[in-house]
Amino acid sequence: MATVPLRVPLEDPASVTVSRAHALWRTMKKKPLGAVSAALLAVIVLMAIFADVLAPYDPLATQPEIRLSAPSRAHPFGTDDIGRDVLSRIIYGARISLWVGMLAVGIGTAAGMVIGLLCGYCEGRLDLIVQRVMDAIQAIPGLVLALAIVAVLKPSTTNAMLAIAMVIIPGNSRIVRGAVLTAKQNRYVEAAQAMGCRHPRIIMSHILPNVTAPILVIASIWLGNAILIEATLSFLGVGTQPPTPSWGLMLSSTGRAFMEQAPWLAIFPGLAISLAVLGFNLFGDTLRDAWDPKLRRSG
Amino acid sequence: MQKYVIRRLLLAVPVLLLSSLIVFGLMRVMPGDALIALMGESGNVGEKELAKLRKDLGLDRPYYQQYLLWLWQMVSLRPGDSIFTNEPIAVSLRKAIPVTLELAALAMIIGLVIAVPVGVLSATRQDKASDYAGRVVAVAGLSIPDFWLATLVITFAAIWVHWIPPIGYVSFWDSPWRNLQQFLLPAAILGYRLSAATMRMTRSTVLETLREDYVRTAWAKGLAGRIVVYKHALKNALIPVVTIVGGQLGTLLAGTFVVEQIFALPGMGRLTVEAILYRDYPVVQTNVMLVAATLVTLNLVVDLTYAWLDPRIRYQ
Repeated sequence: MATVPLRVPLEDPASVTVSRAHALWRTMKKKPLGAVSAALLAVIVLMAIFADVLAPYDPLATQPEIRLSAPSRAHPFGTDDIGRDVLSRIIYGARISLWVGMLAVGIGTAAGMVIGLLCGYCEGRLDLIVQRVMDAIQAIPGLVLALAIVAVLKPSTTNAMLAIAMVIIPGNSRIVRGAVLTAKQNRYVEAAQAMGCRHPRIIMSHILPNVTAPILVIASIWLGNAILIEATLSFLGVGTQPPTPSWGLMLSSTGRAFMEQAPWLAIFPGLAISLAVLGFNLFGDTLRDAWDPKLRRSG
Repeated sequence: MQKYVIRRLLLAVPVLLLSSLIVFGLMRVMPGDALIALMGESGNVGEKELAKLRKDLGLDRPYYQQYLLWLWQMVSLRPGDSIFTNEPIAVSLRKAIPVTLELAALAMIIGLVIAVPVGVLSATRQDKASDYAGRVVAVAGLSIPDFWLATLVITFAAIWVHWIPPIGYVSFWDSPWRNLQQFLLPAAILGYRLSAATMRMTRSTVLETLREDYVRTAWAKGLAGRIVVYKHALKNALIPVVTIVGGQLGTLLAGTFVVEQIFALPGMGRLTVEAILYRDYPVVQTNVMLVAATLVTLNLVVDLTYAWLDPRIRYQ
């Protein structure tokens, strides 16, 4: 029997990257808010990376003689109840927030992606059981679940990060599962199956490239939420522990206690959280517009 | 329709059972238990007394027995007593639920009153100054932590207006004015946050609907702009908005504990979080299951609302 050599055209990963970067650039030129958010995020990331150079003082160094000093030229954001420089603590706090946000979203996205890929590709009993487990996790309010997980693992930055990742997994797995189910309908996937391609190859080469856009968009939106949850957990005393500078902890420990005497202790950490979350939310919107306009309805 | 509802309710059973297993498991693997937390407050207690207390509370039984017993208590609607306060959980819930429901209802009303008109205005004046203003307000609402906003509002109200919300919960029926004084600020803060997501959704769905053929026909017929937007476009644009609002209502039932804590409101959120921190297993388990069951029911109600909003949708 004559055989016809069948070649499934594969997208060159480099060209995908270039076209995505181009789409993002075009969207940012059209929507200046996207460019503003990218600049804001760049500032926060640089602040976190170069905290050692940028911070004017050691964030842990105490100077009781200048406790609760109002903002001045020497201490632009004032000092706290034991004389630590608030600006330096906010600059170092960016490290904690970004670290927790990125790792939590990274773990949550990776785990959600693996679960979503397996459920969407295999379907059947595995999908049915795993998705019910995801439903069950989602039926528990996110913050309560995070709080319970941190209580189990003991309060710390790392455990707060793991708890946030757990909250992220079910939603992400659903989005990836949906994208995989759609991608499976494509002719080239059927062709690859007919050619006898192995399942891991079909998943990695033909399905995964189709689900990366929604994953990256959702991950960027989740980053803002993860920073917010970390701040809330630290605010409740079960996230980052003192004396490590964390924006949420700064707000709850000294910010609230000395709010009337020294309002800068609450104003600046709150502003830092709000600007970081705003930056990620706006950048997430821009990514969505550039890469996956179908997701626009999701908020 | 009936078959659909029954099928959905049956599907909810395994989900709730799994949720109950997760909560039960989490509570049991937590380091320390309610008795240790309780004794930490009341002083030193000997090992023998602790063992006796554990036996009295059934905490010495194997986990599967404890789980089955709790499940039976939940099914028979007798959730037992709090380990920490000794108060029957049903009594605690009777006190906490009205607080949370009032806060949630006020927050939802404030959220919708802001979100829908601003969302529609944003959509009908796309890319104009009012649209940009609405969108910035919405994204800010999603980004500002509610605990920060609450702290600022309380402090600045105290500094500038020399007013602080009355402390100590008073029911609406005992003193409506005092009750509203307690609830309006936290509800406004929560409502603003809720309105942000709803506003964004309303804007994008109204924008989509305004481009539909039937809306163009309505314009061509010479109908007034208000009627085209509110009667023809908005109703069809509401389906995704209802989904968001349904989800928010579920979140409000247990996700408001930070605001409840700051404004000293004894609601469900505060009850649950305090129970987690004190390892009060029965209270946490009951509260979380109550919220989970409400969420599952709300999802069903939201799905059924679609058919009312869009008669083309049929459930079989």
